[in-house]
Amino acid sequence: MQLDQLWQSRSLVWTFAINDLVVRYKGSLLGALWSFLEPVLMLGILYLIFSHVFQSAIENYPLYLLLGIIMWNYFARSTNTGLASILARAGIVNQIYFPRAVLPIGSCVTAFIMLGVEFGVFFGFMAGFQFVPPLTILILPVLVALLFCLTLGLSLILSVAYVRFRDVQHVWSIVTYAGFFLSPVIYDIEIFPPEIAQMLLLNPVAQLLDIAHDAALYGQLPSISAMIYAGVFSIGLAVLGYIIFKRYEFKIVEEL
Amino acid sequence: MRSYSGQGNAVEFVSVSKKFSINRDSVFGSKGQDITILSDVSFSVEKGHVFGIIGRNGIGKTTMLRLIAGIYRPDSGQIKTYGSMVPLLSLGAGFNPELSAKENVIFYGKILGFTHGEISGMVDQIIAFAELERFSNVKLKKFSTGMAARLAFATAVQIDPDIVLVDEILAVGDPPFQKKSYNEFMKFKERGKTIIMVSHDLDSISRLCDRAILLEGGKITSYGAPDTVVNDYLGMLDSEKQE
Repeated sequence: MQLDQLWQSRSLVWTFAINDLVVRYKGSLLGALWSFLEPVLMLGILYLIFSHVFQSAIENYPLYLLLGIIMWNYFARSTNTGLASILARAGIVNQIYFPRAVLPIGSCVTAFIMLGVEFGVFFGFMAGFQFVPPLTILILPVLVALLFCLTLGLSLILSVAYVRFRDVQHVWSIVTYAGFFLSPVIYDIEIFPPEIAQMLLLNPVAQLLDIAHDAALYGQLPSISAMIYAGVFSIGLAVLGYIIFKRYEFKIVEEL
Repeated sequence: MRSYSGQGNAVEFVSVSKKFSINRDSVFGSKGQDITILSDVSFSVEKGHVFGIIGRNGIGKTTMLRLIAGIYRPDSGQIKTYGSMVPLLSLGAGFNPELSAKENVIFYGKILGFTHGEISGMVDQIIAFAELERFSNVKLKKFSTGMAARLAFATAVQIDPDIVLVDEILAVGDPPFQKKSYNEFMKFKERGKTIIMVSHDLDSISRLCDRAILLEGGKITSYGAPDTVVNDYLGMLDSEKQE
């Protein structure tokens, strides 16, 4: 499986991830401060709009909203940049050999670092609302780790598919757009009839968001079955993604 | 990267075949056609040699370099390389326009497998060799093509690999830099390093190479002293013209 080769390239993953972040803020006056300022302002706007203009029956709605947005944004950003990761580096991929998986993994790590900053902002809002989280919030790292596996698996698959079929980018941006409204981000999925809500929770990202809301804000632990479903799906997708990537990584370089 | 000491070959091709699919425009429609780039090709490049690959456009010279570099995999057969390698296929294509010369060299070095410390220690020397000291903190997008190419060349040379793969780049830079590159290549060779080059500049093939091959229709049709191979190539072109 050449996982050892990939492990040896871990510093290269880091190099690409940091490089993405550096380039992102190059040429701006505030530089890396944007990585903090952007989520603060974005979440602030969402908070203003959704907690004053729209009224929601959900308890602690601003935090509910922020947590959902942060996790969903991570998923969408990670998969959408992961998708383009190989094509965007065609100039290097065509020139030098290095394990290609470094590219999609690197962009997932970049998004993950940004997620870390946004979680910092989220906890800032939590403190601002003087909200004391329940102990069950401690399972949040597990959920985030599963979400990482899930996005990684998808990014690996999408990055090779995109080189061959450019349609993938359009399809995936629609999928993530639809997914935003079909997951518990701005409203609770329970507003749907139970059968439909059950169906929507088949989406592992929706499932993880649902579990995260319950655990971080309402002191509820997930059912074992929900947790197993999310866990098997996420880890399985990471493994499947890697297998598919390995199978096509040399074929697609010829198409660059 | 394996290290290799003692006499022997730097690169070996054993019955290597490679096909490409082309003309695959529609996704579900026609399967496209395969073109054979190499069929059952075997040869070896001796360590310490300058080795030339010549042939017409699109015949597979660059593909051969990419196979050596491990960027492509052969459909069948084996390619063995001994020693560290730096491919110089299209100069500066891997550079990031938003980063400075210095940052780009460090980034490039890390992709080639150096640690941050190792490559940072070499950066100043690389930039000095490229004669770009005044521009070391300038973004690469402000560089001319020639300057970017010089930076890439300097990086490859200063990193001092065992094998360099060169695709049509000796014409890079202005005449003084060309002379410098030439001298550097010669020093490189004196240290027992191997250079594999693709060029249409038949003069420089004759002048620089120890051995050369002519690639034609997926096969090596001439192998040996560069003068002989260049003559065979010219003969082939002549006979094509008459047909």
